Amino acid sequence: MGPQHPSTHGVLRLMVKLDGEQVTWCEPDVGYLHRCFEKLSEQKTYPQVIPYTDRTDYLAALLNEQCYVEAVEKLFGDAIQVPERALYIRVLMAELQRITSHLLALGSMAMDLGAVTPFLYCWRDREKIYSIFERITGGRMLYNYLRIGGVRNDLPEGIIGTPQDGEDKSDKTIWGFINYFDSYVYPEWDALVTGNRIFQYRTKGIGVLTPEQAVAYSASGAVLRGSGVKWDLRKNLPYSIYDRLEFDIPVGQNGDCFDRWWVRQEEMLQSSRIVKQCLQWLAENPGPVMAPKVPRVLKPPKGEVYHRIEGARGEVACYVVSDGSANPYKVKWRSPAFTHLQLMPLLVPGHKIADIIAILGSIDVVLGEVDR
Amino acid sequence: MDFLKERFPDAQFTTHVNGDTEILVPRERYEEAVRACYDAGYKYCSVVSAIDWQDRLTLVTSLARIDPAEVGARSIHIKVDLPRTGARIWSISNLYPGANWHERETYDMYGIRFEGHPNHRRILLPDNWQGGHPLLKDFTDRRPKRPRLVRHRFAE
Repeated sequence: MGPQHPSTHGVLRLMVKLDGEQVTWCEPDVGYLHRCFEKLSEQKTYPQVIPYTDRTDYLAALLNEQCYVEAVEKLFGDAIQVPERALYIRVLMAELQRITSHLLALGSMAMDLGAVTPFLYCWRDREKIYSIFERITGGRMLYNYLRIGGVRNDLPEGIIGTPQDGEDKSDKTIWGFINYFDSYVYPEWDALVTGNRIFQYRTKGIGVLTPEQAVAYSASGAVLRGSGVKWDLRKNLPYSIYDRLEFDIPVGQNGDCFDRWWVRQEEMLQSSRIVKQCLQWLAENPGPVMAPKVPRVLKPPKGEVYHRIEGARGEVACYVVSDGSANPYKVKWRSPAFTHLQLMPLLVPGHKIADIIAILGSIDVVLGEVDR
Repeated sequence: MDFLKERFPDAQFTTHVNGDTEILVPRERYEEAVRACYDAGYKYCSVVSAIDWQDRLTLVTSLARIDPAEVGARSIHIKVDLPRTGARIWSISNLYPGANWHERETYDMYGIRFEGHPNHRRILLPDNWQGGHPLLKDFTDRRPKRPRLVRHRFAE
């Protein structure tokens, strides 16, 4: 299968051995999209790396920026104090980004299994968030919005809206979208796909991953939680301001494709809860969005930092080594999709070819992130 | 980190700015250090990578705990200094299956060989790649230069 098969979500080649209809062996072949992100970032200054992080996981670009920017801020220690408002804006954007990323993961998985309508609905709803992002950052897909020490600009006038917005579906405020999401999008997904009997036949009991296997294979994010391990870096290793926010961690029971699907769907609801809390805080607390004394040439002191955050697909982590100069000495990007693809040889054998597509859709790979 | 300090009293411990522990062990005792962490509950391998210090390579293995009840458990980074050419080290991918591809990538990018690895091939670069290991600092791309694309003159 692949590297240009429409269901592989990118240029991924899956080598499979078949016994009739059954798959007996499977091995992914990656590297078609390798763009030397880590080598390039050794030749750029610290702020110049931020746009490259966008392009690793291009469906959750702001989460990648958050990971890199926070790692570099940690290297500076107390020298850079990020204002509270910038932290809240980052979390707000990150959770909206998580909703778009999960919407696409769900929509494309449904389309791989033959349901085209949910895919079109997911694009319709993603468009609304992308319009919000466009008003805030100027970009629709690759934002370059976060800065070391804050964010580039404050939220534009009138984008927050009020909690009463959303009656009108064409509302352009963030509150309008969130209310629309809670009252239309989430119940619609629940009824349209998750409760669909054909969809359940295709996903239940397929690609079962036990909790022990999930931990041993370094799974994270929805794949790990689908297997029943209640682990979320936002709760278990709190970073940014997540320890001040209220949300739950949805967990699956069986570790099959359906559970991974269901965990993503519930996570969108939790993200909307977080967004609401951020919006309430942001509406009441104006202030600066950049740290006051950020030097023009950023030269962090010598040291190393490994920063882990909960990305849309799992644990995104960044290992930055500084030698005291203006360029990072080394950047290592730990991407969840790269690690999750190792699960394919484990999950696929014993299933049919059509189930490969369900399994691949449920672990939600982005090839830009696999190959970096 | 007491279990490591007891077994490696003379090893070099450092703390990252975010609280992660880092331990530098000799090459022969790498297996012992990884097993000690595994037995202490660090059953999750975040990443295996290397740093090129120009005079030596440093292999970094980051291990973490997955315990749903625990808040704020930091990672352990086990570091081993290796020579820049012909480095060999024990593979942890039998203990941590999730490290399999990370070790392949480290081999691909830095040239460190992992003994006992089940599938020791290049991963991101082509199998027949001859140009060396790209993330080494002295790597130069020796492929022939591609011709420049001619810019079309639209305004005519």
